[in-house]
Amino acid sequence: MYNKLKEYFAKITDNKSGNIVILFVVLQLALIIISLLYPDKFRYVSQANMRVLFRAIPTLGIIALGVNLLMISGEFDLSVGSNFAFSALILAILFNSGVPVFVSIIVALIVGSIIGAINGVITVKSQVPSFIITLGSMMFWRGMVILVSQGQAESFRAPDFYRNIFISSFGVIQMQFVWFIIVAIVTWLILERHKFGNYTFASGGDKKTAKALGININLVKIINYSIVGFLTAFAAIISTMRVQQVSPQQGEGLELQAIAACVIGGTALMGGKGSVMAAVLGASLLFTIEDVLILLRAPGFYLQLFIGLLIIVAAVINQKLSKE
Amino acid sequence: MDNKETNEERIPYLEAKGITHDYNRNIRALEKVDFKAYTNEIVGLIGDNGAGKSTLVKIISGVINPTYGEIYVKGEKANFKSSKDAMNKGIETIAQDMNLIETMDIMRNIYCGREECGNFGLLKLNEMRKHAMKILEEKVTIEGIRSPKQIVANLSGGQKQSVAIARAMFFKKKMLLLDEPTSALSVRETHAFLNHLLELKKQGMSLVLVTHNIFHAYKVADRFAVLRHGKKIADVKKEDTTIDDLTELIVGSKLSLDA
Repeated sequence: MYNKLKEYFAKITDNKSGNIVILFVVLQLALIIISLLYPDKFRYVSQANMRVLFRAIPTLGIIALGVNLLMISGEFDLSVGSNFAFSALILAILFNSGVPVFVSIIVALIVGSIIGAINGVITVKSQVPSFIITLGSMMFWRGMVILVSQGQAESFRAPDFYRNIFISSFGVIQMQFVWFIIVAIVTWLILERHKFGNYTFASGGDKKTAKALGININLVKIINYSIVGFLTAFAAIISTMRVQQVSPQQGEGLELQAIAACVIGGTALMGGKGSVMAAVLGASLLFTIEDVLILLRAPGFYLQLFIGLLIIVAAVINQKLSKE
Repeated sequence: MDNKETNEERIPYLEAKGITHDYNRNIRALEKVDFKAYTNEIVGLIGDNGAGKSTLVKIISGVINPTYGEIYVKGEKANFKSSKDAMNKGIETIAQDMNLIETMDIMRNIYCGREECGNFGLLKLNEMRKHAMKILEEKVTIEGIRSPKQIVANLSGGQKQSVAIARAMFFKKKMLLLDEPTSALSVRETHAFLNHLLELKKQGMSLVLVTHNIFHAYKVADRFAVLRHGKKIADVKKEDTTIDDLTELIVGSKLSLDA
């Protein structure tokens, strides 16, 4: 029995996302136990709280799943926050000017993907680090959002049919969380079960060798940039359905949160290493911490403080582990 | 073919004719180099650092295009636009860094760029894993490799080399270009590696051993092509030369140890 358990444990830690899984499970168990012991003071296990968590995670989670792929292929995208606002704005403006919702959604997804693809093309063709290119892109598209919206919030009230598809809830589970899981499964299939995943790992792991093996690393990166853009627009659509308006500041800071989620989960900043679990649990962990601090009525700055620490600790541990 | 071949001469697996290559228009790396490699043969392509060996290897393996000159594979003119073209003609390079991606596991490395896919480009993981196991067990016996899931960064120099060669063997390459293959190996690993080359030669492969370590080359090569300052200055069979002669050719003068 003991040996079997030990074997099983070794299997988990051998797995590349084993550490984050263990950390996540231990943390959740601890929170659940504490919550059951002090049900009045710490309402972690309650329908209301679960609802809040399941509603909050998907927006960042879906974006992080895309950013995760891009980071594994060795690039960053700092413009996702601005892309998030811009594609949401396009959706709202088109819909408000009489375009059918379905068409507006498709156009918003295309716009998001194209913004991603442009980032990709400029980065790989110019050979300038993606940090610089997408920093510029971040400012450019935020500027475009303010220009197009004239600094005003744009309202967006989708018909019930579309609200049902994207954000309705049954019990604690909500549609946006279901979409998050679907996106996670699809990106997992791409990364672990499709040859494109192999190309992605190879491009980020060692681009010179990947090229020598006949992989078109530029194309791989441009596709990953486009996936980030697409998923960013998708997350923006879901989020806009819920909050029913687009403000010009929407999505600020999302780019760094998405990168933070992936790093905390164990995806390497330099590329070549990572897992879908990293993005899923990384994003979930960020919101779990936020949620716990809110439940404890801690002042807002504690959140930044904790997450800042967590990023550093996670990055250092991952570095150590990868050297062993 | 413009020159008449005698009957005893076979068609080389690879022939490079009049290869001249300039870097940045003014730096001449190679000048009118002719090079042949036959099946069932090991050629030592030797020369000092900067003699042009690596440039010639890159041209033969399709990584760069020569400024002038032509390449023939089995007597047919080949036009390599990329390393993929050369790979399709059965030519595999095992470079100094062995063309392995350190962050990936052995199986993904073996298949990198030529995955076995089913519907929608999804990987046939089970079959890939099974074949990878078979390659590791049969094609080369590699000490200390337990499973195709091991990450390449954790392997020794010799193990990495074996994986790279196993990959070439599995994809039925006819010609191996080995660029400084012994530089990352221990003494014991070097010995095993050289024996392995003799084995591959017997199986009908054409092997080009690119090195400045003539002692390693001399142990196994049948013929030596010597480069100096971008020119081929000698092409001699092993029985017609000695290590001292080769050293002299490489350096351009007699080296003596002054006490």
